[in-house]
Amino acid sequence: MTRVRALLAKEFADLRHNPGVFLPALLTAAISMALPFFVAVAIPAWTGERLSDSSDLQVALDTYRSQRIMQGLDPEAMVQAWIFQQFLPLLVLAPVAASMSVAAYAVIGEKQARTLEPLLATPITTFELLLAKVLGALIPAVGLTFVSFIVYGLGIALLAHAGTVRVLLAPRSLGMVFVLGPLAALAALQLAVCVSSRVNDARSAQQIGALIILPLAGLLVGQLTGTVALTGGLIAGLAMVLVALNAVLMHVGIALFDRESILTRWR
Amino acid sequence: MLSAVHLTRRFGNRVAVEDATFEIARGEIFALLGPNGAGKTTTLRMLAGLIEPSAGEVHLSGHRVGRGNAERLRARVGLLTEAPGLWDRLTVRENLLTYAWLHGLSEPDQAVERSMTTFGLSDRANDAAALLSKGLKQRVALARTLLHNPDIVLLDEPTSGLDPESAREVRELIVKLRAEHRAVVLSTHNLDEVERIATRVAVLRQRMLAVDTPDALRARLFGHRLRVVVTGHAGAFIPALRTGGHPDVVADDNTLSIATRDALRDTPDVVRVLVQHGAAIISVVPEEHSLEDVYLRLIKDEARA
Repeated sequence: MTRVRALLAKEFADLRHNPGVFLPALLTAAISMALPFFVAVAIPAWTGERLSDSSDLQVALDTYRSQRIMQGLDPEAMVQAWIFQQFLPLLVLAPVAASMSVAAYAVIGEKQARTLEPLLATPITTFELLLAKVLGALIPAVGLTFVSFIVYGLGIALLAHAGTVRVLLAPRSLGMVFVLGPLAALAALQLAVCVSSRVNDARSAQQIGALIILPLAGLLVGQLTGTVALTGGLIAGLAMVLVALNAVLMHVGIALFDRESILTRWR
Repeated sequence: MLSAVHLTRRFGNRVAVEDATFEIARGEIFALLGPNGAGKTTTLRMLAGLIEPSAGEVHLSGHRVGRGNAERLRARVGLLTEAPGLWDRLTVRENLLTYAWLHGLSEPDQAVERSMTTFGLSDRANDAAALLSKGLKQRVALARTLLHNPDIVLLDEPTSGLDPESAREVRELIVKLRAEHRAVVLSTHNLDEVERIATRVAVLRQRMLAVDTPDALRARLFGHRLRVVVTGHAGAFIPALRTGGHPDVVADDNTLSIATRDALRDTPDVVRVLVQHGAAIISVVPEEHSLEDVYLRLIKDEARA
């Protein structure tokens, strides 16, 4: 693990010297956070209309009336809570999507900068190299998600109706942010690193790596349209699928990482 | 210490290196010479355990290097790649420290400080690698190559693109490595450099065309010859020399080139014969062929074959 820590320290030093690389992730996270406030707080304030009066949002009241954690909230707070929770997957996925460029550049970037050969000449194993590369992109992305979650919670506590923030403490929200989000991020970034070690162009890696975001984005859309209900059971099921997927991706990544062709055939 | 036995590497149908066999001992500077695409870098990569041979073997201290122990081999080998390969945004210290950790050095910070002192990099320790001149980058790359104190040092074009002063510094360092009893393998196009520092030379063009000391290669290809400059037409003395036991003689204007078995033993006899036949001798020197002559002859002979 010393070698993983060594390479990880190098990845973070690189980010420290080039913080601009995470600017897209910060912007995406900020926009993702602002969006639900716009819908749940700003628009009702401008129009003077109550969200709970809208028949389109009755689903929120139906969903939360039976939930113990939400009991005692007034209907307006319940609808706001529903909106804030619906946007939670976006908050989780945005930093991952944005940090995809870091993962996509992981191997091909080293090759293009001609830094890969001296690195491969050290005793580092393929597993250690790939793990460090994935963690180098994952830790900042997940860290940003967690920070965003705290800021999101503070924003809700300050700007939304009293008690709305309780929705973030629901197992469904916590499961999404602390289990599903990091696992999905790990899978997406692993895929990007895998692809990065097989293509000779970082853009290809980024585009292919982004594919794994699509099913999760679909989940978000499904939830917003009411087609999918992201229940605790579904979150647990998805988490198990993602754990298995991550294990497979690590094995596939190691199998696909062909030192020889990376060194001799890439131009 | 390090040996290649019938080393062959193919990429698809293309043969990069074929049947290369050689040994490198401690305290040797072994130069790989060859035109572009001759297989020098591929050979170095096989020796470093970065790519596997299609056939043949690499042995390190008597142990065959294979998939299972390539990592152990890499811990004993320092490879200087053709490009310095530094992380541009990282400082000199950060670059070296990362490699100190990757090699699992017990005191990485001290090792890096020592290395920067040895290579005269201490005053640039906190500068980003991108800001360094090409010569300094190469110096950092060399410091990185030697950070873990490897027994075997593989250098791919170490002075390529450097100014004369930086190139000389690198050459001095290579000679120092030899004095430290390390085995050094050097891949280069710079024949003058090889002439100055290499103890043995291998000429490679997919196959090994020759492996020996520069002097032995010269003797093998051109033999030992004396160059005698006389006043007047030198051709007039050819019959006398042939009769005197020196059949291989050529003349050009006022210069004679005479084949000898042993310059020390034959020189007095050549001079005696010439003086007896009235030659006024201006100079007598052994003919020196440069390594470039050797290299070009080998390459030309191989192309002809």
